[in-house]
Amino acid sequence: MTMAGRTASRTGVAGAHPPPAARRDLGWIGIPLVAVAGLAAFWLLPDDLALLTRIAASALFVLSLDLVLGYGGIATLGQAAMYGTGAYAAGIAAVNWISDPFALLAVGGLAGGLIALVTGALILHAHGLTLLMLTIAVGQIVQEIANKARDWTGGSDGLSGIDPAPVLGLFRFDLYGRTAFLFALAVLVVALMVARRIVRSPFGLACRGVKEDPLRVSALGGSPKSYLVALYAVAGVFAGVAGALTAVTSGIVGLDSAGFPWSAEALVMLVLGGTGRLYGAVIGTAVFMGIHHILASSDPFHWMGFIGLFLIGIVLFLPGGIASGAGRLSALLSALARPGRDGGRA
Amino acid sequence: MSGAALLEVEGLSRNFGGLQVASDISLTLRAGDRCALIGPNGAGKTTFVNLVTGVIPPSAGTIRLAGRDVTGLPAAERVRLGLIRSFQVARLFRSMTVREHLELAVLQRDRRTFRLFASVARVAGLAGEVAELLDAMGLGAVASTAVGSLPYGQQRLLEIALAVAMKPKVLILDEPAAGVPHAESQRILDAIDRLPTDLAVLMIEHDMDLVFRFASSIVVLAQGRLLCSGTAAEIAADPQVREVYLGSRADAR
Ligand SMILES: Nc1ncnc2c1ncn2[C@@H]1O[C@H](COP(=O)(O)OP(=O)(O)OP(=O)(O)O)[C@@H](O)[C@H]1O
Ligand SMILES: [Mg+2]
Repeated sequence: MTMAGRTASRTGVAGAHPPPAARRDLGWIGIPLVAVAGLAAFWLLPDDLALLTRIAASALFVLSLDLVLGYGGIATLGQAAMYGTGAYAAGIAAVNWISDPFALLAVGGLAGGLIALVTGALILHAHGLTLLMLTIAVGQIVQEIANKARDWTGGSDGLSGIDPAPVLGLFRFDLYGRTAFLFALAVLVVALMVARRIVRSPFGLACRGVKEDPLRVSALGGSPKSYLVALYAVAGVFAGVAGALTAVTSGIVGLDSAGFPWSAEALVMLVLGGTGRLYGAVIGTAVFMGIHHILASSDPFHWMGFIGLFLIGIVLFLPGGIASGAGRLSALLSALARPGRDGGRA
Repeated sequence: MSGAALLEVEGLSRNFGGLQVASDISLTLRAGDRCALIGPNGAGKTTFVNLVTGVIPPSAGTIRLAGRDVTGLPAAERVRLGLIRSFQVARLFRSMTVREHLELAVLQRDRRTFRLFASVARVAGLAGEVAELLDAMGLGAVASTAVGSLPYGQQRLLEIALAVAMKPKVLILDEPAAGVPHAESQRILDAIDRLPTDLAVLMIEHDMDLVFRFASSIVVLAQGRLLCSGTAAEIAADPQVREVYLGSRADAR
């Protein structure tokens, strides 16, 4: 008892440093917030539903990247391989066999997960630049296969003629894109819930351990590579669903869906929003694509430059991404709210 | 003490370039053994631990764990067989909290880490066991602190708690008290005392006070060779040991 008391007083001194805020986790509250923000956008911007739908599906893709990078530390520039595979799988299934939108998402998720499992098992023994190269190579291979298999994929013309059945047999995909957006938003919200569940699971904990120190994980008896491969596959499912969601809501799949630029853009959006926080993926995607949309129409020549400046600003002043700003703000506010407490000691 | 042999090391050797850091080391730990491994700085003690646990491969020799030859097994495999070590320099996950470390250790030990949709907070029996481990090391008050912002002494205690959490058969502690405030070092001995008596513990330690409180037998390593071994009293009286180790340290003080 006295021992415990002594330790507590010692840590009291250590606690004079600001307590590390619960950084990773803005809490469950973020999920209803995303839903509410999405619905607000639905009412306020009825003419931009196509863009909003693309944002929702892209946010799901960036979320998959956050799972591998933010929670597993896997540096990748080939996440679009899984996205493209999911998009083509769903597209081909829609053109030939299935029309139920949920079944199409399942097909996309399965395809994305499988390709991630197989390629992950092959490449994840590598680290750093080698791994980066290998992920790029996988993306190029998937894109090349899609290009060559013209009969199935439409090659460089893209795959069109995807005509999904009404959602739940009730809601048709209308011309205005209302159903498409609400469908995409619902899928994104559910995916966020699932992702949050996974990162807070024993598996998520182990993956964070691998991200920080794989050798320490093996000293606890774990096999770092099997965690990484499993995480890569799980994220592949998310990316595949995102691809399928784009195919279902837009009706077309193009070669660029598996391309290197799309992988790189996802990384930019994730870093912008903040890695390892889940919501950072949504915020980064919405901000990036929103700015892109506004600037590209008002100033088609210089918008890339503005995006670049914006990115530099974020990286310099908010190194944890936009989502970290919320955490810092709340830490600042709570520090201001009780100036006397730690001040006496300082 | 003559329980079953848990760890049998035979003729273990290793050189780094021209430097022979382990030469022909043989050592047996039996169930119930409390053995201290001492020796001057650079004697090769940590290297010996790395060889035994499979972090670096030996150039010669065999290692048997509970009768089974594990010389060729990877480190993680040996851990799963109950060969657990703590690190001389705390090696922890800086952004994870103290509680998360212990949760991970227990989940990993029970092979429950491939649950993707369970909540860590609701894994049956986990919270209770983690609370006990926290208590044993006096880490309860900092359970929710990220390890990166913890004082070094408490990081060391967590390092020991992690090893203990793994429910080892053979436990190797590499200078567990280094960096721990003197008043807290008793916690480490207490934690070892609470472990089942039938496991074998090998402790590397410079603090002779701690060594004599802990060990029933002592092994002395110098320049990669086993110099001698015996009971604590025998070692304390051995003139050779006094010369290479105890004597030089006593002069240094
Ligand atoms: N990876 C390595 N490559 C080359 N030499 C090494 C390596 N690791 C250790 N050594 C050398 O091997 C010798 C033994 O080192 P070791 O760390 O095992 O000693 P120790 O007995 O644990 O010392 P201490 O009491 O300081 O912890 C030292 O001379 C060290 O410099
Ligand atoms: Mg050492």
